[in-house]
Formats: sequence, structure tokens, C-alpha cells
Amino acid sequence: MNKTKRFCAIALAAMMAVTAFSGCGGTDTTSSGSASTTPADGTVSVEGGDNEDPLYGEGANGTISLKVWGPDAAQDLLKEQCAAFIEDMKPYGDIEIEVIPQGEADAANLVTTDASAAADVFGFACDQLDKLVSSGNLLKVATAEKETITAENSESSVKAATYGDDLYAYPETGDNSYVLFYDKRVVSDEDAQTLEATLAACKEQNKQFVMDAGNGFYACLFAFTGGLEVNGLDADGVQQFNDYDEAKVVKSLMAFQDLLGQYSDIFVNGETTKVVDGFLSGSVGAGIDGSWNFASAKDALGDDVGFAELPTIDIDGEATPIVNMFGYKLIGVNSSTQYPSTSVALAMYLTSEECQIQRAEQLNWGPSNKVAAEQDVVTSDAALSAVIAQSEHSVAQVGVSDKFWDPMKVLGNRVVEFDDPFTEESAKEILDQTIANIKG
Amino acid sequence: MIKSYKLSRMISDIVIYVILAILGIIWVSPLIWLVLHSFRAEGGITVPYIFPKQYTLENYKKLFTDTSVFDYPRWFLNTFVVAVFSCIISTLTVMMVSYAFSRLRFKSRKTFINIGMVLGMFPGFMTMIALYYLLKAMNLTQTLPALVICYSAGAGLNFAISKGFFDTIPRALDEAATIDGATRNQIFWKIILPMSKPIIVYTILTSFVAPWCDFILVKIIMGDNRDNYTVALGLQRMTDREYKQGYFKQFLAGSVIVAIPITILFLKMQNYYVEGVTAGGVKG
Repeated sequence: MNKTKRFCAIALAAMMAVTAFSGCGGTDTTSSGSASTTPADGTVSVEGGDNEDPLYGEGANGTISLKVWGPDAAQDLLKEQCAAFIEDMKPYGDIEIEVIPQGEADAANLVTTDASAAADVFGFACDQLDKLVSSGNLLKVATAEKETITAENSESSVKAATYGDDLYAYPETGDNSYVLFYDKRVVSDEDAQTLEATLAACKEQNKQFVMDAGNGFYACLFAFTGGLEVNGLDADGVQQFNDYDEAKVVKSLMAFQDLLGQYSDIFVNGETTKVVDGFLSGSVGAGIDGSWNFASAKDALGDDVGFAELPTIDIDGEATPIVNMFGYKLIGVNSSTQYPSTSVALAMYLTSEECQIQRAEQLNWGPSNKVAAEQDVVTSDAALSAVIAQSEHSVAQVGVSDKFWDPMKVLGNRVVEFDDPFTEESAKEILDQTIANIKG
Repeated sequence: MIKSYKLSRMISDIVIYVILAILGIIWVSPLIWLVLHSFRAEGGITVPYIFPKQYTLENYKKLFTDTSVFDYPRWFLNTFVVAVFSCIISTLTVMMVSYAFSRLRFKSRKTFINIGMVLGMFPGFMTMIALYYLLKAMNLTQTLPALVICYSAGAGLNFAISKGFFDTIPRALDEAATIDGATRNQIFWKIILPMSKPIIVYTILTSFVAPWCDFILVKIIMGDNRDNYTVALGLQRMTDREYKQGYFKQFLAGSVIVAIPITILFLKMQNYYVEGVTAGGVKG
């Protein structure tokens, strides 16, 4: 009797364990299930037809209702832009657009969890492209639109929206990266050209130089400056790199360690938030920080704040520009949208030159559109021109494996370990290890 | 001899109190920092000193008035409503389940107790994806009732402590009531519950706190419906990369305010609370 009871209890417990785990497995089946019902490469626009209607008849069956996600800070502008779109499309159909605040960093998670509850058109950061494409949640951009986008936007921003040979998203901004922030009372505009002069100027007034070497997003510049580049993922999701010259990368790592080591008393390896905090407290002279902190840095220092593309560093007697990781904000169209043509038209409109200029004017977002990037509002703004100048020598943050960040962080922390200087062998060894760990 | 005994005792007391004091300071220092800096006027995210140079109520004021980006008052109210409802429902179910397990004798009572214990060991968020799709099938995702259901539906599993407490109430009382003609139901409401104030208070407190602390379920259930966020999710939003620099002091203020309803409830009920925890532990 007692034995049967025990057996029952164990069997029940096992069953419950299985059901509990099946909940986890369930996600896979559901997400792949929804992916298979909506072909990821279902292209929408009808080419060569004499159809002038940009909505391809979607307006014929009553009101079209769309949901759009954009970050909180951009709500007002996004609503205005959507209203303008609705007005433009009046002749072809009635459109209702619900604009919902949703940060770009979280978009992919929400879309892949439940695509049917997600927005039809949504903004996201380009590092989520792989995830969204492989889960089948993005509608591929059709050939006609692809040509327009490729012609109008910067090459690197288009690359950031491309997966394989196909374009999957609409470039929205070209500023999701980091540049040099400095206090003009400490570092002159001329000093900010080279890392050597920047550090020397900081040291002269005993101010700190802040960089987050313990974060792969920033630390990768040590290796990228030497010519390393990420080059997408292979079929198994393993990170690929370009055909880099190992000796050059090693030299770059050693040059950074050597230079920063000379200023180890003022070099601070810490979170980027320390840059603006340090400006406020007067302890920081310069630092590397992201475009999302432009406004806070301006608030902190007023007219004394300076922005410049990352300075050059002397490697083997040659002033080499620092190459960094560059992100883009993209707009995607949900593959399970009920109104694909209208969504595509809206995405095209939101990423158009007109809308990008409005964003540059009102939100201070750097455009990816080539014409928009040449407008006064961009060129006269030190921060935006710095970040756009930086994009010229950068590696697009796309096709980056999840395993990339931690080994890069370790490498970064090793570079700024000044007590244990690199020899050529040890630098080569840590580089090889980093690459192996990223691929492993 | 006595003297040296006294002396050694005093020394050991001093050592113990010093250690405890140090531990106490370490434990309470983050809270003190949080409260101090929520009133800080100057600086950004952090400042390189402990005591702010200027104090202001501006951070609190902004938190409640500047709702264009982060609607904290609304999130606070949401959390409060969810907490109240799930607190009432969970307390009732916990009490009823415990009463049944403690007083009634039925087939497979032991089995159910064991099942309950085993199920209770799984963290709730293990099934969150399944939960999401179940709620979606019921058309409840992105609503506050969904949260109330999630927080209170499994509450009955936490019967262990209150069952232990009920076991300590003499069965003679039940029997006397039965002789006087009381039904099981009447015994529960009129005899057992009035005698179980400490454990009721304990259950109320734990179930009221849960919605304030939970993050992961809200995150998955609410999706993009910001109007129905709770404070935990809302506060996390404030520390996003884009907003951290501008909203960090408001984030600190928001975190302090979360403590207020919980503290009030706790102070009102703390006398019972201490009794409740010890009483339930006497006889498991």
C-alpha cells in the first residue's frame, strides 16, 4: 500500500516535471509554427503593374488599422509623421495608426514572443536583425523598394539591414555608436584629433579619461583598429571574421596598451555613464560615450562640450584612425501584418529623407539618408557630424554572434591591465584565444 | 574567578556586537544611499561622495507630474490595485486550503499535500511562455486581471506554514462546536479564522508584496501595453540606455516610493507578524 503511494507520488512528480519543461519546449514549436505560416520571403509589391495605388487595394475593404512602435522620446514626432502619412494616403484608403511607445532595444524580444500582438511597423536596433530574420518575423523588402533604399541611404546602413543577399529592414538612423566627448576647457579641438594629445591634455589638468574597456561594444575598437572585422555568421551561427593581418592587430593592441599605460593615472576603465557624471563633477576631461548621451553631455557642459570622431592613434609611426562598432536603427515590417502593402508604404515613408530630416531637427538623431546627412541641421551640429564622420571608419554591428561580447570584454580588460605589459607573443596569444572563444 | 568570567563575557559581547553592527551597516547602507540620493539635487547618475550636497523634492515632484514619457502614478496605481486583489484572493485560498488539509480527513489527502509541496518548488516563471499562451487563448493578455490571476491562482500551494499553524489549534474546539451544531464551514469562519490572526497577517503581507517585486511575469504578459505596466517594469524602463542619464534620480525616487505602501502595511501589522512567523513554525 505504502509502496503504491510512493510510486504514485514519484510518477506524479515526474509528470509534473515533464509538463513544466514542456512549457519551455512549447516556445520553440509555437514560434517556428507561426514562422512557417507566414513565409519570411513573401514579397509584397507588384512590380511593373499599372497599379498606381501604393496600398495595392488594401484600402478597398474598409479602414486599415496599423500599430507602430517607436521609442518614448520620439512619440510626438512619430505621431505627426503618421498623421501626415494618413493624409497622403487618403485617396487610396482610410488608415488608422496607433502609435505605441516601445524601446528599440526590446523590440525583437516582443516580436518573437508573440508576433500577432506586436506592431505592424516597428523600430529596432540593427543587432537584432539576425534574430528577427531567422525567426521569420520580418517581411523581406521587395526589389523596387530595395533599389530606392540602396540609392538613398549610406552604404553601411544598408549593409546593416541586409541579411544574406536580401534586404530585410529600412534604415532609420545612422548614429547608434560612440564618439569622443570632451570638455573644451581641457582638451582643445585640435588635441581631440589624436589620442596622444587628448590624453596629454587631460593629464596636464589632472582630469580623467573614461572608456569602458570592460564592455565588448567599446573594447572591440582595440582589435578593429588593427583591421579585424566581423563578417557575418556561417550556417551554424559561428562568427566569421575578415581576412585580417594578425601582425597588424597585435600591433594595434600593443599600441593601445602602451599609450594608455603611459597615462594609467588618469585613465579610468569604467561605465560610460561616468563620462557625463564626470563632466558634472568636473573630474573628467574626455571620454568615449554613445550618441544617446549627446543631450545629457550638452546639458552638463553647455558651450564647453566638444564632440569629435574617435581620435587617431599612432601605430608604428603612422596616425591610424580608430575603427569602432557602429549600430543603426532600423524599421521593420512584421511578417504577420494584415496589411503588408500599407505597412511597407509606411516604413518607406518613415525612413524617407523628409522624415529623417525632421528627426535630425527635432530629436537630434543622425540620419542614414545621404541627402539628409548633408543638411545644415546635421553638418552644423558637432555631435551629429562627429558620429557621421565616425561611421566612415567603423564596422557595422550586424551579423554579430552573441558569443562575440564576452571574449571581447576579456580582451579589453587585458589591454588595460598595465601592470602586465604585452609581449608580441602574449598579445598574439590573447588575440588567438579571443577569436577561438568567439568562434567556440 | 567571577570577575574574569564577567570580563570574558563582556569581551565576547563587544566582539559580537561590533560584528553585528558592521553587518548591519553593510546591509542597510544601500537603502540609506537610495533614500539620500533620491533627494539629491546635483549630479547625474552617481556622484563620487556619499552625502549629497544639495537636497530637493524635485525628483519626487517630477516623478508624479512629468508623466509624458514615464507615467509613474498610473503604474503605481496599477500595482496597488493588482496587489490588493491578489492579496485578498490569495489569502482566502491559502486559508481554505490549509484548513482543509489540517482539519478534514479524506482519501489521498497526503498525496495532495505532496503534490502541492512539489509544485510549490517550481518557480512560477518556469511556465511563463505556456502561461502567456493560455492567457492569450482567454483573451486576457495585456490586462491587469491576468496579473491578478497569475499571482493568486497558485497561492493555495503555499499552505504549509498556515497548515502548521492550524494544526496547533486544539481539535477539541472544533469538536465542541460540532456538538453545538456548527458545520465545517461555520467552524472555519467563526472558530478557526478569529484565532488565526497572526498567520492571516503573515499571508496578507507576503501576498501583498509579491506584485511589487515581480518583474518577469509582467514583462511577458504586458508586452507593449504601457498603460498597464506595474512599477517594477516601469522603473526598469527608466534605466534603459537612452533614459538612464536623464531619469536616474527619478528612478531612485520611484524605488523609494514603492516601499511606502508595503511599509505602512507592515507597520500596521507588525505585532501580529512576528507572532505569526514563530507560531507557524512550532509544529510543522
